[in-house]
Amino acid sequence: MQNESQESTTKAKDAVNPASPDSKVTVGRNGVAIAAHAPKEHKDYRTYEVYQRERVGQSTPKLRPGDLRSPAFMIDPYPFFETLREDYPCYRDWSSNGFWVSQYNDVTSIFADDANFETRSKLWFYNFPDYGRNLGHELPVLIARAKGFDQHTVPCMEEIIGGVSSGTNLGMDFAARLPLMILVRTLALPEDDFQFFAERYWRMQRGFLWDPVAQKAGRQAMDELSAYFDPLVEQRRADPGEDFISAIACLDVDGGPATGRDVTATLLEDDHETLHGALANMWALLLSHADQLEVVKSDQRMMKFAYLETLRHSAPVLFAQRFAQHEVERFGRLLPEGALVLCAAGAANRDPRVYADPDQFIVGRKDLCQREPRGQYRADGLAAGVAFGLGKPSIYPAIPEDRPPSRYALTRDTATTASTLLLEAFPKISLQTGAEVQLRCLRWGEMHTCWQLPVAV
Amino acid sequence: MPSFSLDALADAAESETQLSKKEFPLMPVGQAVDMGFTDDGVPLIDPRIFDSPEFFRNPYPYYRILRDHYPVFHDKLHNTYWVTRYEDITACYFDDEGFNTIPKGSSSGVLGNTQLELSGVEHRRRRNLYGQHLVGKSLENRIPAIERLAKEMIADWENLGEDVVQDKDGVRTVNIAAAFANEFPIRVVSEILGIPKDAQGQFFYWYNSMMAGLGGSATHQMGLEARQDLEDYISDIVEQRRVTPTYLYDNDGNPISKDIISKLCETKIDNDYLSTEEITSNIALVIGGGGETTRGAILNLWYLLLQHPDQFEAVMEDEANWDLAFHEMLRHSSSIGGQPRHNTHDVEMHGVKVPAGSLMEMVDFSANHDDRIFKDPETFNIFRDDLYAGKILRSGYNKDGKCSHMAFGVGPHLCPGAWISHQETVVGSKILAAHMKNPRINLDKMPKDIDGTSLAPIGLISVRDLWLDYDL
Repeated sequence: MQNESQESTTKAKDAVNPASPDSKVTVGRNGVAIAAHAPKEHKDYRTYEVYQRERVGQSTPKLRPGDLRSPAFMIDPYPFFETLREDYPCYRDWSSNGFWVSQYNDVTSIFADDANFETRSKLWFYNFPDYGRNLGHELPVLIARAKGFDQHTVPCMEEIIGGVSSGTNLGMDFAARLPLMILVRTLALPEDDFQFFAERYWRMQRGFLWDPVAQKAGRQAMDELSAYFDPLVEQRRADPGEDFISAIACLDVDGGPATGRDVTATLLEDDHETLHGALANMWALLLSHADQLEVVKSDQRMMKFAYLETLRHSAPVLFAQRFAQHEVERFGRLLPEGALVLCAAGAANRDPRVYADPDQFIVGRKDLCQREPRGQYRADGLAAGVAFGLGKPSIYPAIPEDRPPSRYALTRDTATTASTLLLEAFPKISLQTGAEVQLRCLRWGEMHTCWQLPVAV
Repeated sequence: MPSFSLDALADAAESETQLSKKEFPLMPVGQAVDMGFTDDGVPLIDPRIFDSPEFFRNPYPYYRILRDHYPVFHDKLHNTYWVTRYEDITACYFDDEGFNTIPKGSSSGVLGNTQLELSGVEHRRRRNLYGQHLVGKSLENRIPAIERLAKEMIADWENLGEDVVQDKDGVRTVNIAAAFANEFPIRVVSEILGIPKDAQGQFFYWYNSMMAGLGGSATHQMGLEARQDLEDYISDIVEQRRVTPTYLYDNDGNPISKDIISKLCETKIDNDYLSTEEITSNIALVIGGGGETTRGAILNLWYLLLQHPDQFEAVMEDEANWDLAFHEMLRHSSSIGGQPRHNTHDVEMHGVKVPAGSLMEMVDFSANHDDRIFKDPETFNIFRDDLYAGKILRSGYNKDGKCSHMAFGVGPHLCPGAWISHQETVVGSKILAAHMKNPRINLDKMPKDIDGTSLAPIGLISVRDLWLDYDL
């Protein structure tokens, strides 16, 4: 009996996947098999009936074509996001040839769904997918990275605090600088190379989008970084330290030992925006909401909540791009294979179905998840701010024994520690008189953050 | 603390923001804006150019850059792959299963389900349902009707207002867009469809609204409403014609053939009659496809010919040259920019890997100006020896060493209205030419190029208004 039933299970699997050994079947955690790709044999054309369902002419008079790429959107996207979320939850944007998804549950459902929605790497956007290998998920690399952040946050922050005076621009001199300083030390680069590295790292991270001039500069920066890393990788393979490059150099991975290009590719795919953007946006919000700054001063533990609320209220990564792996019927529409889905984290984070008074910046709000989210970006039944840069909710325990803390935890702790040190050093910190706080994207698709934040101490 | 300055980068970022607000400057026709170069001297393409007024009036230098350096250009701002070379587009058009037409296009909401968006067998089965009424013998049968409509319209010029026709000192100044070209194709379409005369004005309004509503534009709602009204109207007619078919008549009042709606009513597919919805969608497509394109063809043809008096002279001397002029005009400045395709499988073209399901925009405009096929492509020359100008064939892209233009596409999705559009344009133009003595462009009333003196280029949009003078 048992044998028979096993056989029939096997047969059923074959039936799902007729004669296509290439098509991958992944088994989800709840045991449901999901074909990674629809069988290709039946894709020649679609039936007339399929179109009948799609013949829904949606009119979207509340948004003009081009609104979502306008200068106004790059400064304050939230009115546009509200229109999307409340009126057109799955909006067909002809000018970007994509679908905007904007409600919290929809965005997080895509975010957690690798079987249906593909994330394309920054190297793919560079049209150079084989440039190098992203080794950022290898355990020794994760450990080196975590160790670097753990060791260097406080010393870097002390240096930064030493340079802060009245008139200092926290946007550039603190928020932009700190992640790069920590990174340089995590890579164990000579301090003299800081400027060389920082400029190229920045250009590389800004070059993968649509702008060809930036892309050219980015490609050049990548090549220069790779050439710079090549001898370092050799050197550290021979005489390894505890740093990030040594960890990559000593990896035993398919395709041979790591090269400078692999280090560059790994750094490229790493998230640089969340820490920078969260620090800048958090201080912009705290300094412009005196009552909330008082809340943070009253109790040191509130700094973490301020950080979490910042990621919700003013997410630096406004939206992320996903591509449908195959035809999916979701959100009341038929998303064709290959369709671009623009997941608006900025809209989801202000979804009134999930958060009360979503436009208010409330440190310690009761309806925000205060712990690392699980599943569909929730824990304890509470929603968390969607921050795409931090990756999907971790599948590992909150305090892992054999793994370093997750990226979520690492970024949160670094931001919290740094901000606490800053506030301790300058308890009377305030916005410089007459300064105006403005968040904006420098280029469409880039992070939405505060670039000018001059303070008085 | 190490020396560190992000100021330079911040300044650069500031100027980038300014640039994104800035319109691209208007360039002399044929010259591209400087968008930067690679180290090897290859020009860069900033995808924002595709949204700019500059591109709409002066697209060809940019297409040349794409063809020469980026034959498959991945435009990440518009999430599109632009395919620009003649040979590549031809190959993709013939492979209608590898490069499918499933409905991701903007027309579906307004026009309904049409064969624009079918592929493979489904497309082949439906393609000829109405296409057969627009070619060959059945087309010849309709030519007298086309001639009669043209003559009627011209005869009516006497009665038009000052805003369209002005007579002074033995010279008549007429806007042949408003007086003729805008409405003529729609009258022809509604005539051969068998729309009653009293409804043709309403029909013209529906057509305009539907065209305005394409592309997710601000007037989309208007387009949808027009489409719904049209659908209601056609549904009634279809129900009537199912019982009582109506006919087209020749000039002597003898019936020639049934009108298209009556024919569609008795058409069967899969052993079943077409549904009213299917008939209506295809009629919406006939209206959409048959109006704007032919309107543009007539206006562009006259605009170009009158700017080349020697060629106009040649056409006047030998009527057979109208065909050459028609095809050369469509090569030089057609009204349909290209067709969207989606690759069914992962493909690699010219080293660019395109994941399955990507939008690959086949730029017919660019194919028509591909100097791998057409020498000196920016020159309008009806006697060019590398353009095939014979009978329009589905497979006729390369006959006798000559290539056809791409304005009608090629392969399975070749424009089913190609033949009737040809007849409308040529027949209409012959009648116009016979009526107008010594026609010339009224320079005062026409929009000028950036130099303020020469006539504006046609660019991507066909001529909107065309003011001509002729001797009475």
